Amino acid sequence: MSNVTDAKPQATAVPASGLKKFWADFSESRLALFALAVFSTILFIALFAPWISPTNPYDLGSVDIMNSRLPPGSEDFAGNVYWLGTDGAGRDMLSSIFYGLRVSLGVGAFSGIVAMAIGATIGLAAAYFGGRLETIIMRIVDIQLSFPSILMALIILAIFGKGVDKTIIALVLVQWAYYARTARASALVEKNKEYVEAAQCLALSDRRIILSHIMPNCLAPMIVVGTLQTAHAISLEATLSFLGLGLPITEPSLGLLIGNGFEYMYTGDFWISIFPGVALLITIVSINLVGDQLRDIFNPRLQK
Amino acid sequence: MKFLRLLCIGLASVSFSLSAYAEDLRVGLKSEPSSIDPHYHNLGPNNGFSKHIFGALVGSDENQQHFPDLAVSWKPIDDTTWEFKLRQGVKWHDGSSFTADDVLFTVERAQNVPNSPSSFVTYLKGKTFSKVDDHTVHVKTAAPYPLMPNDLTTVKIISAKAGKDASTEDYNSGKATIGTGPYKFVEWVPGDRIVLTRNDSYYGKKAVFDNVIMKPIKSGPARISALLAGDVDFIDSVPPLDVARLKQDDKLQLSSGPSNRVIYLHMDQFREASPHVQAKDGGAIKNPLMDVRVRKAISHAINRDAIVARVMEGVAVKAGQLLPAGFHGVSEKMTPDAYDPDAAKKLMADAGYGDGFKMTVHGPNDRYINDAKIAEALAQMLTRVGIDASVETMPKSVYFKRASGGGPDKSPEFSFMVLGWGAGSGEASSPLKALLHTYDKSKGLGAANRGRHSDAAVDALIKKALATVDADARGKLLAEATEKAVGENYGVIPLHYQVNTWAAKSGYKYLPRTDEYTVVMGLSKD
Repeated sequence: MSNVTDAKPQATAVPASGLKKFWADFSESRLALFALAVFSTILFIALFAPWISPTNPYDLGSVDIMNSRLPPGSEDFAGNVYWLGTDGAGRDMLSSIFYGLRVSLGVGAFSGIVAMAIGATIGLAAAYFGGRLETIIMRIVDIQLSFPSILMALIILAIFGKGVDKTIIALVLVQWAYYARTARASALVEKNKEYVEAAQCLALSDRRIILSHIMPNCLAPMIVVGTLQTAHAISLEATLSFLGLGLPITEPSLGLLIGNGFEYMYTGDFWISIFPGVALLITIVSINLVGDQLRDIFNPRLQK
Repeated sequence: MKFLRLLCIGLASVSFSLSAYAEDLRVGLKSEPSSIDPHYHNLGPNNGFSKHIFGALVGSDENQQHFPDLAVSWKPIDDTTWEFKLRQGVKWHDGSSFTADDVLFTVERAQNVPNSPSSFVTYLKGKTFSKVDDHTVHVKTAAPYPLMPNDLTTVKIISAKAGKDASTEDYNSGKATIGTGPYKFVEWVPGDRIVLTRNDSYYGKKAVFDNVIMKPIKSGPARISALLAGDVDFIDSVPPLDVARLKQDDKLQLSSGPSNRVIYLHMDQFREASPHVQAKDGGAIKNPLMDVRVRKAISHAINRDAIVARVMEGVAVKAGQLLPAGFHGVSEKMTPDAYDPDAAKKLMADAGYGDGFKMTVHGPNDRYINDAKIAEALAQMLTRVGIDASVETMPKSVYFKRASGGGPDKSPEFSFMVLGWGAGSGEASSPLKALLHTYDKSKGLGAANRGRHSDAAVDALIKKALATVDADARGKLLAEATEKAVGENYGVIPLHYQVNTWAAKSGYKYLPRTDEYTVVMGLSKD
């Protein structure tokens, strides 16, 4: 890479004309490219699940208990083939995984975006205003981060009850602190730079300085944390559903599918747990690989 | 490093289990009792557990037949008085003697346990106990009461001396836990273990084991792996899925038996607008479950054979009434409704619900065998006859509270519920009285009637049966009441009777109990 040295002075932010360079940096790692391709496929499946799934696993009228626990590749009386078998309620595993990906990714991404918006705002405000506000906010963040996130989520769900909306609330409440801490750390660096002082001299409003001057320059680390946190949120949601909290039994996410299949492990009906587990694994690994590569690109210390 | 450490722990636990000698028994329980206090909570696991430490006046064996326990004989001496002759020479675990005073103390105390989630008042209300001499007790009722011995199998007798001013905590800690049973209480560490030791001065058949350690292991697969790994010697509630496979295992001895527990559906029959029933477009409709044709349609929409075969793995018996054949007061005529979706659709159309409606099926997910899966299978079957069903399952701790009194004015919250009822008295009077008699809190009737089914003719039959001393005549009345309430009115819809399975390592054999209790005294060595 010949132009790396040129990039150095602006390393903390993505260069404005840098989309091309960004892509060049990103595709430096074949593994990351491969992961991105896998993730794109998963995203496609999740978005278009209702159109590409062989059956609709949420439509109780088409799910028949008599087809329960068919091994992969079997056919029912109506001639439907279940490539990955069926679960204990007679749902097609392949369709369930497609729909499950949709739920898992949707819940993970949505809660990640909301948590990022809330966390970043709070973190930026803490860094910008400083003083007592900062102390209070950051102590709250410290307290929250000292609890294991699964415990926090369990407590929240125990109070609110089950459901997609409640699971999202729980995930947001668990995650915002990570974003707040990251946003504050990068905003602390930015806030003492000259362009901020210049903006302050122009008597721009605090809101405008925070949102249009400081925030764009803190975006890079936020995106990295966001990617990794989304993977974390997906696995956390899977854990909660596995434990029987979280999502309803008739609309399973990946975690719930794994949990449903767990009791069949001893009877040899491996496919009910294993396939959703593999799908979850691939999803999280691909997101993490993409996230790792993003981190490497945005990290000035790793610039060669 | 971590692996090595795990290996060491593993090896250590193996050598520990080898060193435990044969006279100790380790039991893996699905549900541990919620308290050691025998009068705190009228709940299966508690009632089963307390049999180890405490005796009752009338014993109840594995088929719920009565035998003399702390009373050696009982009989009605006139229309409204029963006489119980108490066993002589019985010693409490602390060495003092058992007398009629203990019985009177028990009756008083069992009705006044603070914070009891479900009390024994049901069995003692309206009965006046009096001491005739140290070993004779008279029980008076206002009307003839044939079920006296049945009721008194449930109430465990406690020591007046040890139980004086004792709280539930004193029983949990062992301070007041002085019984007459074959085992003495050693300690309870909630969530971890209950330890019992043999009572050498027990008046009945001596206990087989020196020490019994009961460990709660909630998850089915975990319980089985504990048994296979030799961490425990005996487990209850073998999941139906694993029964067939474990039967093949030479190292294990399985025993299965039908229980007195029927899994059934309660349907809202008291609200014009039911909270969890809507028109398909989400609008409000008149509660269709009030119409007997809709209830009958639902019964025909259910494929009981499929539930037994696919959900219960064949380890259940499909049900057409409230108790399986062989129990007292069951109807000879009734059979399970046939699966007939076309007839169901026609019935729905006749009732004016040809377009169907939307409904939520509520059920527990940790109370009955495969309860959540049953709810899910029901939703599938209902959807096929036009009822768009969704499923909501929850842990029993939440479920029963809401099912009994989660609505306004402590009314039942749900519209359509999966429930189970075990006939504690071993007679059809138990489910009829609790589930189908008109709800009447003051008289303790219809106590679990969560659909609030109400039919004066059924009530009259139940009342008449409860006051009939002659067993055959009572049985006929109970059968007639069942035929009316279940067969004609569809007050509840029975699904199946549970079959329970226990597993022990080979060399032990457990006598399956119809009351589902796990009682170590039922475990014998071959």
